[in-house]
Amino acid sequence: MLEGTPTAPLTSRAAGAVMFRRGAEPVTCGRFLADVAALAARLPDRPYALGLCADRYNALVSFAAVVSRGQVMLLSSDRSSRRRREIAADYPDLYVLADTGEDPSWEAPPDAVRVAPAAPAGAIGPNPRIPLGQVAAIGFTSGSTGVPGAHPKPWGALVAAAEAAGERFNLNHPDGQETTVVATVPPQHMYGFETTMVLPLHAATASHAGPHFFPVEVAEALHAAPGRRVLVTTPLQMRALLGSGQPMPKLQAVISATAPLEASLAEAVERAWQAPVLEIYGATEMGSIASRRTVEGPLWRLYRSVGLRRRTEDVVAAEVAGLPEPVPLADAVELEGEECFRLLGRRTDIVKLGGKRASLARLNALLNGIEGVQDGVFVVPEDLDRNPAARLAVYAVAPARSAEAILAALRQQVDPVFLPRAVTLVPALPRDSVGKLPQQALAALRRQLAGTA
Amino acid sequence: MSSQLAIEAEVAALIVEALHLETSADQIDPEAPLFGEGLGLDSIDALEIALAISRRYGFQLRSDDERNGQIFASLRNLSAHIEKHRQH
Repeated sequence: MLEGTPTAPLTSRAAGAVMFRRGAEPVTCGRFLADVAALAARLPDRPYALGLCADRYNALVSFAAVVSRGQVMLLSSDRSSRRRREIAADYPDLYVLADTGEDPSWEAPPDAVRVAPAAPAGAIGPNPRIPLGQVAAIGFTSGSTGVPGAHPKPWGALVAAAEAAGERFNLNHPDGQETTVVATVPPQHMYGFETTMVLPLHAATASHAGPHFFPVEVAEALHAAPGRRVLVTTPLQMRALLGSGQPMPKLQAVISATAPLEASLAEAVERAWQAPVLEIYGATEMGSIASRRTVEGPLWRLYRSVGLRRRTEDVVAAEVAGLPEPVPLADAVELEGEECFRLLGRRTDIVKLGGKRASLARLNALLNGIEGVQDGVFVVPEDLDRNPAARLAVYAVAPARSAEAILAALRQQVDPVFLPRAVTLVPALPRDSVGKLPQQALAALRRQLAGTA
Repeated sequence: MSSQLAIEAEVAALIVEALHLETSADQIDPEAPLFGEGLGLDSIDALEIALAISRRYGFQLRSDDERNGQIFASLRNLSAHIEKHRQH
């Protein structure tokens, strides 16, 4: 490391602070650092690591070991062999970090480095300093989005965001008692990565290792956590958890992201669980940049580490501490002073489902590239943001092909959440004289098909 | 396609209703995968199905229950799991 290079420590927590909970077992910061040092010592000397650990603690030890070796962690919550091959094509010199996991249908590649932390309680490892400009992780937006690609996260940007979040969500208490974070989002998704991997390194939180997918698991982990508790989740999972009627312990806050949260759901959760429901606004490209308490209204408040600047009439860009370039937002926004903004809705090409984004133009291009499809269009239902069961639909002109064949062809190229729930074959699409598909004409087609069905 | 048992027909109807599928319940092959190649469901759908099951049958699905991948592998497996754990 060059002398004078600005750095920040891997963690700013005290050696005795609880940083993780694996079931009922607390893991202190010192023991975590010992696990990191042990894994770092046996990592291969390669520039990129693909972290595929299912256990959240294993995922954090992997990330920290990779960063302390000056390598870059590639974040993918998609563990399929297809996605692995895609990433390996772009990063041929990567190696894989994996744990055994609980899913028998998933097999780690045979040459993966197995992650199985085993430092004893009371162990203390070194706390390395990491250059702020060092790229620590790369997040991916899926191939079907309008802005496909890899988004490097310098260490300084991750630390600044964690410190800003710690401040915003009031996580650093004078009594030194940590807040347990139970999350239903995977540690390799940018939102889960920030809130459960980076946050415990630089704010007084302890992440719970999981798994927490089904409502009963989330409720049990929260009940078992001592002291302060925060639930990090998504609107869909919040709705499922509320609907399951699981009794909840006292919560400091419920944090939601990945999709717009309906005010009515936020109100119902606040009433049922007696805790504030806070929403985070962010994206893989820029990380979390703002938050609001949903029931208080539409105004979002930026993190201390972020500024917004209007670039063109349509596009606003975020200047994020630690990121080299401003990042254009995927949504249209109205600025309100220096610290606040309102969302005016997504820019029309982007559709969001299950925490993933896709570009309709790109989806339509894939559809029209299928053999035998003469014309076709993806249609977004009006209730997409409100109805968890809502999915895209497809209208296609393909006289020689079946709806099933078109769906099968799409499945080869499109993330499952963006697959159309229905493919309807039509004789023609209502294109106007310049070849465009006006929204009203599509709506009329939809009504017509519904009426004749 | 092999024919549906009574419980399978009931669970198929529950899935179709919970997910607003356009498929009719009796068209779901009890042995075909629910996710991926078969019905093409995704992980959000798994949560919706879990919620519908907890309401109808009074028990909660869990990740560490036997093998989750197997439970959701087909309508037949899911129905068998429900038969074994249902409270009502």
